[in-house]
Amino acid sequence: MFVDSIGLILIQAGKTLADFLGMLKETFQALFRPPFRVGLIIQHIEFIANRSVGIIVFCVSFAAMVTIMESSYHMKLVLQEDSLVPGFAALLILRELGSVLAALLLTSKIGAGITAEIGTMTVTEQIDALKMLSINPVQYLVVPRLIACILSGLALAVISNLVCLISAMGISVANLGMSTGSFLLAMNRFVIFQDLVFAIIKGGVFGAVIPLIACYWGFRCTAGAQGVGQATTRSVVTASVAIIVLDFVMSWIFAHFY
Amino acid sequence: MIEFKNVVKSFGQKTVLNKVSFKIERGQIVFILGISGTGKSVMLKNIVGLLTPDAGEIWVDGVDAAKLSEESYGPIRKKCGMVFQQPALFDSMTVFENIAFGLRKHFQLPESEIKSRVLKALSLVNLDDIGERFPSNISYGMQKRVSLARTIIIEPEILLFDEPTTGLDPITTNAINSLIQDLSRRLKTTSLVVSHDMNCALAIADRIIVLDRGMIVEDGTVESVRNSKVPLVKDFLAEV
Repeated sequence: MFVDSIGLILIQAGKTLADFLGMLKETFQALFRPPFRVGLIIQHIEFIANRSVGIIVFCVSFAAMVTIMESSYHMKLVLQEDSLVPGFAALLILRELGSVLAALLLTSKIGAGITAEIGTMTVTEQIDALKMLSINPVQYLVVPRLIACILSGLALAVISNLVCLISAMGISVANLGMSTGSFLLAMNRFVIFQDLVFAIIKGGVFGAVIPLIACYWGFRCTAGAQGVGQATTRSVVTASVAIIVLDFVMSWIFAHFY
Repeated sequence: MIEFKNVVKSFGQKTVLNKVSFKIERGQIVFILGISGTGKSVMLKNIVGLLTPDAGEIWVDGVDAAKLSEESYGPIRKKCGMVFQQPALFDSMTVFENIAFGLRKHFQLPESEIKSRVLKALSLVNLDDIGERFPSNISYGMQKRVSLARTIIIEPEILLFDEPTTGLDPITTNAINSLIQDLSRRLKTTSLVVSHDMNCALAIADRIIVLDRGMIVEDGTVESVRNSKVPLVKDFLAEV
């Protein structure tokens, strides 16, 4: 019975993955096919980046401050000194915290919104209406969101990482009694420019994953308010898991370049 | 011309269309009646590839639509206009933009011509002066009429109506029925109307098909349907 259930789950997961890869292929083909809706892409960038930057800045700065305070406490406890805190914290921020946290916040804010919007369009037959007008829904709905989200992901990764570092420096100066100069010096011992580049690449990849998964679940939304709710939940959960797994994969790949 | 040959469509264990066959000639107004869940809407969606049948053939002007891939449906969809069960208006666009959307997509027309056609279409469905409003700011009945205007503006050869008058007041219902009749007579449009409304069917249909549990139980002219011995048809007639 248990094995049967596992088998059914795996079969369903396989079908879903194959279905998703089908949409991915269609999206990739549509990326290079006119019309290129530049105005729509700019509109989406405004919505995705501009309206998310506030919440991302707010949350990542607190996360960075907690990282510094916790690191300091434990280093003092074990090593009886915390001069390495800026270096370790900056490394953690650039390699993981800045991009991943921004992506997870973007998933819950933008990914959920995209799924709810496209899901509602699906259940109210707007997607069918688009098809009847010979408009490819993937090209019309997915492609502009994908491009906008990739560009926003790149920009938000830069902002998120810089805000994290500034917040970390601020709390180090205020709470650990460090000077700005000593913080930067300690950071410089651990962090290299490549770290920032890899963090930005991660931001772009996460930016691509969020709208793809969000649109996928939106298109497969079933009727009713419950259907839209379920699709939105699935979208956020799947995208969050995908971000965590991809973060591991990319970190493993990037490790080969140091 | 539309022809169904032994069309079968199932969702999971439930067979919604069970070897359905019929033929509709150009210019006819055909009503498809049946209680909810008998496959009426599924039948319409199969014609334009929004759903694909599990078996059988669906011929639309000499092309077997059942065999087409998603990318190949373009010519058939261009020929057909569909009024959905729900208004299916694009929320992000104004009423004017919604109606003009299809025109802009299919025809290279000057803006003045588009404007004039949109206003005319709005006037046909008794909706003047709402062009600048968004779908969320008008009533459900108005949305349905806008949806109708969006479909008829491109003057398709085949019109598919999925419960076009559900939720509308009697005056608008009559206006829409007259419009369907007028389009069919004037432009030789083939109209396939899915409905529960036997009154409308008796008033304007050339032919009535009654579906019950995925099978055709009655198919004939208004006169023959009036004299039908089929219990479901009798039930429908009793409501008139």
